[in-house]
Amino acid sequence: MSSQIRDEGNDEDTAQLEAEIADLEARLKSAKERLSRSSPTPSPPPKLNNSDNILARSPSPPTSSHHFLLLLSDSALPLGSFAFSSGLESYLAHQRSSARKAGQQPRPSFTADFLPLSLSSYASTTLPFVLAAHRDPTAVADLDDQLDAAVICTVGRRASIAQGRALLGIWERSFVSSSSTSSAGAAAATGTAEEVLKPFSALLRSTGSSSSSTAATTTTDPQLPPPVSAHLGPLFGAVCALLGLTLPQTAYVFLLSHAKALVSAAVRASLFGPYQAQRVLASPETQALIAAFVAREWDTLPEDAGQSVPVMDLWIGRHEMLYSRIFNS
Amino acid sequence: MISPFPKSASAAGEGHIVVKLLPHDISALESITYQYPLKLISPTVKATQQSVVVFLLSYGGGLVGGDQVNLKIDIQPFARLSIVTQGHTKIFKPAIPGAITRQQLSVNIQDGAALCLLPDPVQPFEGSLYEQTQVFHLNGRASLCLLDWVTHGRAARGEDWDLLKWTGRNEVWFKNQDTGLKDRLLVRDAVLLDGTSKSAHPMPLRETMHGHAIFGTLILRGPLTQSLGEFFLAEFSALPRIGARDFRTAAEKEKGPEKTAFESWRASRIQQELQDGVLWSAANVRSCVVIKFGAATVEAGRDWIGSMLAQEASLQKNFGEDSLLCVR
Repeated sequence: MSSQIRDEGNDEDTAQLEAEIADLEARLKSAKERLSRSSPTPSPPPKLNNSDNILARSPSPPTSSHHFLLLLSDSALPLGSFAFSSGLESYLAHQRSSARKAGQQPRPSFTADFLPLSLSSYASTTLPFVLAAHRDPTAVADLDDQLDAAVICTVGRRASIAQGRALLGIWERSFVSSSSTSSAGAAAATGTAEEVLKPFSALLRSTGSSSSSTAATTTTDPQLPPPVSAHLGPLFGAVCALLGLTLPQTAYVFLLSHAKALVSAAVRASLFGPYQAQRVLASPETQALIAAFVAREWDTLPEDAGQSVPVMDLWIGRHEMLYSRIFNS
Repeated sequence: MISPFPKSASAAGEGHIVVKLLPHDISALESITYQYPLKLISPTVKATQQSVVVFLLSYGGGLVGGDQVNLKIDIQPFARLSIVTQGHTKIFKPAIPGAITRQQLSVNIQDGAALCLLPDPVQPFEGSLYEQTQVFHLNGRASLCLLDWVTHGRAARGEDWDLLKWTGRNEVWFKNQDTGLKDRLLVRDAVLLDGTSKSAHPMPLRETMHGHAIFGTLILRGPLTQSLGEFFLAEFSALPRIGARDFRTAAEKEKGPEKTAFESWRASRIQQELQDGVLWSAANVRSCVVIKFGAATVEAGRDWIGSMLAQEASLQKNFGEDSLLCVR
């Protein structure tokens, strides 16, 4: 049965891709027509070198969604990801202490051990929420609440919320004004892009103020959690959908960004240098891992998400127990 | 007349427990029904017992492929129930490939009522396929103590996480008294172990478990487990820092300030944790306390959780000694 669903998912993608291609071709055609109208005299033959020629003859102009794909995958995106090691620092400390107990040299292996485990764990716990929020950005508040109930460790929650709020800030302050020019299919279906996340931010702000003043919480049980927390996963899915990224792009960028953050943390933890870091990221193994985990979670519903690597919860949860720390998680 | 025999085969594995409160604060069974392969046994009520104790058993001490157990529990206001098992719940390899063994538990705990569910761990054998879903609806000031743990299989036969698939899901919901409002999900804890190639892991399942023979989750919520939750959080923050050095000499350590009985217990427990490879963490999650632990051997895991629960002692007081049968 699941293979059937997967086929449908692929069909959907193919249809989406075909629609995108048709859209791009139409826009290329109209752009060429406009160009020929505006410049009746042919432009002088370019006296350019080869590489510029390639650019000039580029078959399709980069679209707005490509532009946002590059922005969202940029490590300079100010989410503060550099402050978190997602359990790597704790993993290294635990490996060291267990090796000391056994009287051995510690042999922590990043590429053969921690990287695949962390990617698998992140994919199984969070990726279904990213995919669901992309498929329906208006459901982001409900998905956020469900994910908050599923993050069962303080350190992991702190990291996810800090980055989620940062992303919401980037969306509101920087992206939203440009998003109307994007060819966002999802936004067209659900109203204008900037409206979709407004109820969510309003809900988030109301909980922020009610926690400081007790009077506002009369209608809700004090034992109950706030309605939204702003975790990274669902917001990332929603923002990508609103900026016109496709579902496969969104899933891939989400996991690739995690891999990049881990590798960057590994460099700062002195596991290896910057060239080795790029080699890890560029390797076919890393590419295959990301693709395999995206495929694994493609049809997973958020309510069926869970921890595929139980020991990861222990490492992340015990990060607070480290004597010295350079990361927040 | 109601037939005492099972009505139809479709209800195999069904069970229902209803617990009520008698005068003088005595919890008692209102009804208890079950069908093969599920078996429920409750010792006769003693006037002194703090909670009703029910043994959750399966015929032959295990479940084979395709077995389905579907247990419903209702605990009426201010009644208390403890559920225990008798030995590990063994999950056998299915005779028909692909047949999944399922256990479902659906619990409704009314205001002021409480459930203490401390079973033996589930022991999935080589090649087993298992899915467990436990859903708890808590009304008002209901209390819950839930332990869910899984072992690496039959160590005597060299098994070490050789199962095909193990899925354990626990959901704690806050039930809204107002019918107009939706129930609120407080905690959803799910562990998905996959020994097949579908896991997409570049290493076997065994290696992803990093030498742990048992993994457990303890979930606490409500007034009757509050002190236990605070105890776990306090002990967690009192753990020695990883990577810290003790520069005192052996003589200075000996001489150190006089320890209370509790401090000595803590010191020896921490020593034991190091020796047995026990890793654990505790967190306050949406008004529940969730404890995760793993240990290098099944016995070490059992000893650790048993020692923590016995030391804090509120479960004995609130539910009776028998509620802790499986963690001693």
